[in-house]
Amino acid sequence: MTPEVQRAIEEIQRIFPKHNVEVEAEGQGGAYVIVNDLLIGERYLPSTSWIGFTISYQYPYADVYPHYLDAGLRRVDGLVQGAGLSMTVWQNRQVIQVSRRSNRWNAAIDTAATKLSKVQLWLRSL
Amino acid sequence: MKEPVELRIDATLFEKLENHLFPGDRDEHGAVIAAGIVETPRGTRLLVREVFLARDGIDYVPGQRGYRALTARFVAEISGYCAKENLCYLAVHCHGGKDEVSFSSDDIASHERGYPALLDITCGGPVGALVFAKNAVAGDIWTTSGRYKLDHMTIIGANIRKLYPSPRMRSPIANPMYDRHSRMFGDVGQEILSNLKVGIIGLGGGGSLINEWLSRLGVGHIVAIDFDRVELTNLPRIVGANHWDAMTWLIKSGIPWLEKLGKRLAAYKVHVARRVAKQANPSIRYDAIVGNIVDELIAKLLVDTDFIFLAADSMQSRLVFNAIVHQYLIPGIQIGAKVPVEKQTKQVGDIFTATRPVLPYAYGGCLHCHELIPPGRLQQETLSETERRNQQYVEDENIAQPSVITLNVKSAEQAVNDFKMMFTGLYKPEVQLQHQLHFARERKTIEVKPRANSNCLDCSDSNRSRRARGDRFRLPCRMLEAPSNGK
Repeated sequence: MTPEVQRAIEEIQRIFPKHNVEVEAEGQGGAYVIVNDLLIGERYLPSTSWIGFTISYQYPYADVYPHYLDAGLRRVDGLVQGAGLSMTVWQNRQVIQVSRRSNRWNAAIDTAATKLSKVQLWLRSL
Repeated sequence: MKEPVELRIDATLFEKLENHLFPGDRDEHGAVIAAGIVETPRGTRLLVREVFLARDGIDYVPGQRGYRALTARFVAEISGYCAKENLCYLAVHCHGGKDEVSFSSDDIASHERGYPALLDITCGGPVGALVFAKNAVAGDIWTTSGRYKLDHMTIIGANIRKLYPSPRMRSPIANPMYDRHSRMFGDVGQEILSNLKVGIIGLGGGGSLINEWLSRLGVGHIVAIDFDRVELTNLPRIVGANHWDAMTWLIKSGIPWLEKLGKRLAAYKVHVARRVAKQANPSIRYDAIVGNIVDELIAKLLVDTDFIFLAADSMQSRLVFNAIVHQYLIPGIQIGAKVPVEKQTKQVGDIFTATRPVLPYAYGGCLHCHELIPPGRLQQETLSETERRNQQYVEDENIAQPSVITLNVKSAEQAVNDFKMMFTGLYKPEVQLQHQLHFARERKTIEVKPRANSNCLDCSDSNRSRRARGDRFRLPCRMLEAPSNGK
């Protein structure tokens, strides 16, 4: 992994200290990351989920998106669906894809950890 | 350390230093330069990142042994900063005179007293001293492996200037082939071009034009980088490519396995470019590199060039190009042409060509600051085809885009003329090399006002930026490594 990706993972572990963070190198300097047991709100069943994403080898210049949730996740009022949400395959597993591209991503400020927090907030706001 | 040793500085920092050293009082003034370093088989370059001006009477005071000296406090402060930032420490002062300069015996004695300790403080430096006259510079560079003289200094701006310790002897033999060039920029200008090493990223429509023109201009050494092979549809645009290169007879055979074979046997674009360059200038030194600039080993082939042309389409190549320009203080130009076509109606939109000079300083045309490297596009380009398909982001990239040689000419022509004018010093002092866009359907050319972000990771002075850090910073490249698991 590139030093920038390693630092991004360290920051995630620091900001989400109570959550198990699974990391797998993707072979070119980037990493596949899964942060477990994140609270995504009472409107979901269950109210927690893992969130996965890829940090590319050109991080922090490259945006971190999309994010992925467990395909088995449901909303209390039905399926998890709508704009920015779709079913797909990631890392050989069925997942819900959360597409939140940051058009104003700033490599000097934005990080994989802050992006994860924003995605978590967005999911809670749905 | 490999010789010759060169110091590179951008025009903005040089102006700051020059105004401080030569305010018109004919007195001696001092400063310190913090510099990155790049060592290659072609020599060593010290890359000026910051200039610290020593205030007269406060930081630069009457010396106990020489006329003036930097105070111990100032030296400690700046050398500590250099150690922390992993930069080289270079003390600067000026002498009288104009075209020739050298250190005094007092200067040399002070180096011998101080620099061994300073090498320790800065964790191996290098450290050293520079002495300037109005049009000359000499340097005494100390490393843990020895002591070296500065060969010359390069000032990078709209015109690229060099300063030497004393006027150089020029070769009296001029090549009569370049007689018409010499009538414009002199035998000296032709000699400058013949000593240049120039990188070209992308040898498609635009890059192949640049390649031929540089070769005919008499550039001495070209490093051409492209991983692609010639295709049938490239033939109307790639200079010098023929049907044999594209394996047309196999591609058009109508037999799938022969078509596949044709694609595998087609010539690499860089090999066609080398053939064209050698025809234009048989004595040219040519490195035809089949590879991707996104890979670190390939990108590093450009770190000792004098200029880089970017004629490739991807955002990843823009990212690496922009990083090399700023990290190694190598000026460059990105070129491109765009023919937007509306998906449903197939109507042609605003056709434009772009010529974007990128000089290694704030407001120098940084592609990040001009928002020309979208982070979302970068992320998509790092994905494999399967990952892209899974993410449902398969957009137009597999659909062939319109491309016409005359549009490539428009952007490439301005780029090569900029290059020629910069190195032969023919641009008027007021010239600013701004990004230029030409809108073909309106027959209109506009210049884009330069932009800079104060926290840019490439062009700014922020302590996180890569500007002028040379070998001691990582390029944003793909790493080749065995996948491993970890928690």
